[in-house]
Amino acid sequence: MTEHIQDQLSAFIDDELSEEESAFLVRRLERDATARGQLARYALIGAALRGELLQPHPWVLQHRIDAALNGVPAAAQPPVVRAARQRGWRAVGMTRPLAGAGIAAAAAVAAIGLLRYTNEDSAVPIAQPSGAMFRTASQWQEPESYVVPQEAAPRAAPADLPIRLTNYLVYHGQYASHLSRTSVHSNVVGVVGSDVVLGEESPAVVPAAAEETPR
Amino acid sequence: MILPIRASQQSLLLLAFVACGAAAQDARSWLERMSLAVEQLNYEGTFVHVHGGTGETLQIVHRNDGGSIAERILSLDGAGREIIRREDEVQCILPDSRVVLLQQRKELNPLASALPSYTDDIEANYELRLAGTARVAQRSAQVIGITPRDQFRYGYMLWLDEETAMPLKSQLTDERGEIVEQILFTQLDIVDHVPADALEPTTDTEGFTWLRPPPLPPDSGTVLWRVENLPGGFRLSAATRGAIAGSEHPVEHLVYSDGLATVSVFIEDPNTQPELSEGFSKVGSTNAFSVTVRGRRVTAVGEVPRQTVRSIATSLQPQ
Repeated sequence: MTEHIQDQLSAFIDDELSEEESAFLVRRLERDATARGQLARYALIGAALRGELLQPHPWVLQHRIDAALNGVPAAAQPPVVRAARQRGWRAVGMTRPLAGAGIAAAAAVAAIGLLRYTNEDSAVPIAQPSGAMFRTASQWQEPESYVVPQEAAPRAAPADLPIRLTNYLVYHGQYASHLSRTSVHSNVVGVVGSDVVLGEESPAVVPAAAEETPR
Repeated sequence: MILPIRASQQSLLLLAFVACGAAAQDARSWLERMSLAVEQLNYEGTFVHVHGGTGETLQIVHRNDGGSIAERILSLDGAGREIIRREDEVQCILPDSRVVLLQQRKELNPLASALPSYTDDIEANYELRLAGTARVAQRSAQVIGITPRDQFRYGYMLWLDEETAMPLKSQLTDERGEIVEQILFTQLDIVDHVPADALEPTTDTEGFTWLRPPPLPPDSGTVLWRVENLPGGFRLSAATRGAIAGSEHPVEHLVYSDGLATVSVFIEDPNTQPELSEGFSKVGSTNAFSVTVRGRRVTAVGEVPRQTVRSIATSLQPQ
C-alpha cells in the first residue's frame, strides 16, 4: 500500500477529503482488502489514542461512506454477535451483516463496527493512582482533529532493537504474570522504531570492582 | 441519642470497611478467574496494542492441549515478527533481521518459581476494586481497577468478559494516571480445540540465522546476588543461570514479582554484550535500566516505572 493511500485513509477518517476523493477512495475500498483492513486499524487505533471516545462518531463515518457512494445515507444496522459455531468455536467476536450497502460500504462498515465495538463502555474512567485527576466521558474534551496514527508514517527499521535486549524481553516474558505476558510479547514483536528508546541518561555512578564479583 | 448514632456511624464504617474488603476480595477472585482463563482456555483473537502514540495489530493463538500450553503472537503489521511459546521453549522469529531466537526455560530452584497468585499480599501494594460493568465487544464485562499504593508500579484497568473472565480490554497507567499501554481485542474466538498447526510459524525461516543457547556445564545452582533496595512487595520468584541465545557465557537471571508486576534482572560479563547501552531503555511499555555493578553488566527489565528498574539494577549486591 502506498503512502498516498495511507494518507488518504487518514484524511478520510478526519473528513478532510473532497467529495471526489472520498468517492474514489470508497470505490478503491471495494476491491482493496488491504486498504479496508488499514482503514479499520487506523480508525481503531485512533479511537484508542483518543481515550476510546470516538471522533468522528462511527455513524458520521458511515454517512460519509454512504454519501461518497451514492449520496444517500444507508440504514444503520446494528452489529450482531457471531451466531454460527465455526469449527465448534464459541464466538465472542462480532461481524456485521453485509447486505444492503454494497461491498465498499460493508467493508468500510467493518471499520465502523470496530469503532462501535470499542466505544460502548466509554463512560468507564481509567485507572488513577491516588490523588490523580479522575476523568470521565463527560469531562473529555474532544480533540480538534483525528490523530493520525504514527503507523501511517514509514516505520523505522525494526532491527533498531538490539538482539540482546530482544533476548532479555523474550526471556523476561516467560516469567511475567498472566496479566503482563501478552504485553511483554507484544512489545517484542510489535513495537519497533518510534516507541523504542535506547541508552538514555547513562548512569553517572558505575561501581567497578571486578575482583569482588561473587563466584 | 448519641450512642445509637455513634453506634450507627460505627456500623456504617464497619459496613463500609467490610464492603471494601469484600469488593477487593471479589476483584481478586476476578483476577484469579482471568489468570486461569488466559492460560487454560483455547482461543484465537486479534487485538490492537496501543502505546506511546502509536499502535499495531497483533494476532494471538492460544492452545491448551491436555495441560500442555502453547501460544503464538504474530504482528500483522510491518515485517510480521512472531513469538511462539511452548512448555519450556520460546521461539522468536524476526523476519526483518532474518534471525530466530530460541530460548529454553531452566530454573535453578523450581520451587521458588510459582506463578503469581493473587493473595492478600497483593493488597499491600495495590488497591483492588470492582469498577462497575460495561459493554465491550458486544459483551458484558466486569471492570476491575487496580491502583498502585506507591510510585514503584503501574496501575491497571481491566475489562473482563463476565462469562469467561477473558480480558477484552486492558489499560496500563503510570503514576500520573496517563495510559502507558492499551490492549483491545477486536475479535476473540474461544474454541474447544486449537489444531497444532495453528501454532506453526507463518514465516519460512530457511536461510535465517538461528541463535540458540549453547550448552554450558552445570553449576552449583546457588543464587549469588541480591537486590539491596528492592521496592516493597517485590520478592524473588525465580532464579536461573545459563546460556542465553547469542551468548557463549552464562547469564544469571533473577525474577522479582509483587504478584502483578514482574522485574527481571540479567547479570553478565559486560564484554560479552557490548551492544546494549548503559542507562534507560524503553520498548513500548517495558522499561529497562542497564548499569555496570562490581564489574558485571546488570540490566533490569519490567513493566514498571523507570525508577523501579533503576533502583533494582543499581542496588544489586553479592550475597
